[in-house]
Amino acid sequence: MTAKRTMTLNLTDAEMRALDDLSVRKDITKTAVLRQALRLYQTIEARVEKGDKLLFENDATKEKAELMFL
Amino acid sequence: MTTEISVIHLLDVATGEGVEGELRDAIEQAQLNDWQREWQPALLAVLQDLARRGVPIGQWPQSWHWDWGKKTARVQGLLAFRGFSVVAQGVTQGLAQIDLTKAGREPSQAGKPLVYLDYIEVAPWNRPELGRPPRLRGVGSALLTAAVALSDEEGFKGRIGLHSLPQADAFYARIGMTDLGQDAAYQNLRYFEMTAARAQAFLGQE
Repeated sequence: MTAKRTMTLNLTDAEMRALDDLSVRKDITKTAVLRQALRLYQTIEARVEKGDKLLFENDATKEKAELMFL
Repeated sequence: MTTEISVIHLLDVATGEGVEGELRDAIEQAQLNDWQREWQPALLAVLQDLARRGVPIGQWPQSWHWDWGKKTARVQGLLAFRGFSVVAQGVTQGLAQIDLTKAGREPSQAGKPLVYLDYIEVAPWNRPELGRPPRLRGVGSALLTAAVALSDEEGFKGRIGLHSLPQADAFYARIGMTDLGQDAAYQNLRYFEMTAARAQAFLGQE
């Protein structure tokens, strides 16, 4: 198993509730939620840097919306 | 990142004896060199033989065009992608690339993160479907077990998913993965998932 380092994270109540909620809904620990978030953030950042756009498409209506990624 | 190496046990088909191999949690330049220098000529010989015998292209190994150099370069440095390789008898015997950003589709685990096997391939000389007895057995299983174990380690409870090439459909069904049917959004390949419950039983068997 790859060695891991520990850090303290300061979150607001609302952020902590969102983290708790994602942890329950995704059936993973809060640490796993944050690690997933970091992977996704890094992946999206790399794609946007290459010039790709981040689009959401509604499966039913086929309506597309671009997510601005700053 | 330091590559972690575990000892695994494979079967030498010709002698019937066990062979020690390495499961490495990365695909490094040495593996890409093996793919280029060892796998490619072996695969080319197989393809030439298939062409000479008039075997329809639909029955050729469906991963014949995979370029592991490009596949690994595309995800270099990204945390969401991981690689595994099996090395034995001094050469790379199998490769797998994994995506950690996908979620389950099977009803009991829909929307929950899983380890998605983007690509898994064993060396041409280990593939019985290419018409010759394989040199080593157990390479593909070792890579699959590594994916399930990674899923467990990541807190995904062993959930894995993959799109299967038709020649491998029966194998994934046999090991208890759930067949969720053809995926029109992915070249009509069948999509398989291993549930958390099945994964625990699978890891117990290995």
